[in-house]
Amino acid sequence: MSDHDNELTRRDVIKLGAAATAAVSLGVGHAEAQARVGGFLTESEFAILDELSEMIIPTDSHSPGARAAKVAAFIDSQLAEAWEEKDRSDWRRGLGLVERLSQQMNGTPFVKSSSEQRLAVLTRMAQNESKPEEPEEQFFRELKGRIVYAYYTSEIGIKQEMEYKGNTYQAEFAGYDVSKP
Amino acid sequence: MPLIRMRQAAAPEVDLQTTYDAVVVGSGAAGGMAAHVLTSQGMKVLMLEAGKKLDINNELKSMEWPYEHPRRGVMPPGSHALSLNEYTIRQPPYAAGSSFRHVYSYVQGWSGSDYSKNIVVDEKDHPYSGTSYAWVRARLLGGKTNIWGRLALRLSDYDFKGKSHDGYGEDWPIAYADIAPYYDKVDLYLGISGVKENLPQLPDSLFQRPNTLAAAEVTLRNSLKKMDRVLTPYRAGVTTDGLKHNKYRSKCFGRGACSRRAGGCDIHAAFDSPTGLIYPALDTGHLTLRTNATAREVLVDPKTGKARGVAFVDTETGRSYEARAAVVILAASTLESARLLLLSKSTTHPNGIGNSSGHVGHNFCEHVMGPGVTGLVKDRIGTPRTLDDGRPGNFYVPRFRNLKDRNPNFIRGYGFEGGAGTTMFPEHASGTPGFGATFKKSVRDRAGAYISMGGFGEVLARYENYIDLDPTLKDRWGIPTTRFHYKFGDNEKKMCEDMANAAQEMFEAAGFEILDVTRNMLTEGWSIHELGTARMGTDPKTSVLNQFQQSHDVKNLFVVDGSSHVSASCQNPTWTIMALAWRSCEYLATEFKKGNLS
Repeated sequence: MSDHDNELTRRDVIKLGAAATAAVSLGVGHAEAQARVGGFLTESEFAILDELSEMIIPTDSHSPGARAAKVAAFIDSQLAEAWEEKDRSDWRRGLGLVERLSQQMNGTPFVKSSSEQRLAVLTRMAQNESKPEEPEEQFFRELKGRIVYAYYTSEIGIKQEMEYKGNTYQAEFAGYDVSKP
Repeated sequence: MPLIRMRQAAAPEVDLQTTYDAVVVGSGAAGGMAAHVLTSQGMKVLMLEAGKKLDINNELKSMEWPYEHPRRGVMPPGSHALSLNEYTIRQPPYAAGSSFRHVYSYVQGWSGSDYSKNIVVDEKDHPYSGTSYAWVRARLLGGKTNIWGRLALRLSDYDFKGKSHDGYGEDWPIAYADIAPYYDKVDLYLGISGVKENLPQLPDSLFQRPNTLAAAEVTLRNSLKKMDRVLTPYRAGVTTDGLKHNKYRSKCFGRGACSRRAGGCDIHAAFDSPTGLIYPALDTGHLTLRTNATAREVLVDPKTGKARGVAFVDTETGRSYEARAAVVILAASTLESARLLLLSKSTTHPNGIGNSSGHVGHNFCEHVMGPGVTGLVKDRIGTPRTLDDGRPGNFYVPRFRNLKDRNPNFIRGYGFEGGAGTTMFPEHASGTPGFGATFKKSVRDRAGAYISMGGFGEVLARYENYIDLDPTLKDRWGIPTTRFHYKFGDNEKKMCEDMANAAQEMFEAAGFEILDVTRNMLTEGWSIHELGTARMGTDPKTSVLNQFQQSHDVKNLFVVDGSSHVSASCQNPTWTIMALAWRSCEYLATEFKKGNLS
């Protein structure tokens, strides 16, 4: 039993190492320039995801957005190691839908479109967020869910955007002590 | 903050030729307490634990940020947590035929699951059958106390004397006055945080530094006062001032780690059985610990009918062993202790040891969960950031139903656990509509503006709710598995309707905007508060144990965990499990010394 388990553990470690390397190597500069070790998405798919992530959670005067938080790289590394092939094929299909929608609506590839054109595509995808029906509407929910998780678990998301003050040693609990009158 | 991590003394090797004074099966809250009380009385104790002794601090890594983890805290691919749908639509064994490498109970669907994956069991190794049941099990030194929710409540005579109050079920063979001194001992030995409220249905403990409340929680507390209801800061089984007598545990430093994970505290401010009870017991020199020891049968002396030890399987090698002891103490958890009694069939005990009443496995009860409410606290939107999740818990609303009044639709009651304020991860983000700068600002502005609570209701103990052994299904070690015959009844359904309505009413009265009211019950087992199955009582025909958790049939056999509880109450059971075990083990030690158990 223990030998078997150790073997699995070792394999996990190797996989983890690959994912971590992917995340690190993706960490610099603009996405299209990256060589993505161990990632799943093609360069053009990655560029679409990177752009969508920044459109959903953009840099503003308060804090950097999803691109700076390397959200696309984290999602790509998750897809690369996903247990079920369906995760990968769903995302490939979803990003393909975005590209097709862009061609239909604007006659241009998504990443080569103007910001107004890209906004029109994303707005169309997001139009039935509470009750998605069309495939691109369903993909928007999946896309947003993963981007939200990746962004708000990133250092930028936690410390700069949300200004989270915890995970530190504190002598007293913050808040109201109702045992005192 | 430098913290000295104390290593416990090396444990003596298990000697299977020796007859120990007592063998304890299980190392959770009940087993740990048995080891503490008996070794402090000088008895030589052997503890058997089915799981490993993990390097727990290395598992929990309480201060690791999500982005320091390659999968942001999530389990490796191929590891699957059962969903509510799977529990509801399918029947156990839930992992049968699964293509996943590991299948875990629903708690592994929570955030930070990579930190608890070695603590909970793999369902593939531990199948069970029968009716739907979300059974959460932990097999390692300390059991579920390594990740428990920490809400540490006392029961009252509304619980111990429930039958006298409303005519249903059975009274416990003890009253609050019998157990109160032992609740005090547990409070002082392990540490508890809370605020005195002087409530007859929820007696106060001997509290250390209290938990605080977030702003919206204060609003709700003040509003509930007008309804003659109470919101009290979470009574956490956490030492907030430290314990001078325990070198393995630090006081709480409000790091917030307990709310970001399945639980667990790597400075052990939150009670866990290893640092709270077992390591100090090892330091007495009277405790021998054998981990990776899966108990499979209580051994019986055919001449006397008394217990003579425990047969166990080495969890790693599969080899069989026998441990001998003058007294056998089961503390393997409510369902595992009952399973072990049923597995222990002999000519003198044909229905399983201690089961002449036929009540072992029956009167199984717990807490029903599901109904609850989420509200938006409008005056918190856009306010400066506060730190609200450093506390070891948020709030508790004690039972208010069927105390002075009688509800026409159901008996017994329920309490609520809830919380408000900021958390590290903004749970509201994915449900906040839209995208872009407006979306981002909305998530930011509304952080800390939500409040929610969910109920825990008493499930009535009924004979027809029970477990037995599956006639064919076996676990990885070839041991017959547990089969469930357990369903919520009409009283639970009616109670849950009231729970949802009451939750909504309280939030409306406090001026919160209602965002969601949940009315559905979660699957049986969800509360992880399974109780009953070997209840105490005065009548050996209708109960398994006496008031000291001693078998009516076999005087040197004790069952000191939640299986002994006569009713579920709606208050969380861990503190009561430990207070009862303390009381029983004091009695046990006295009787042992008088020679009354041999």
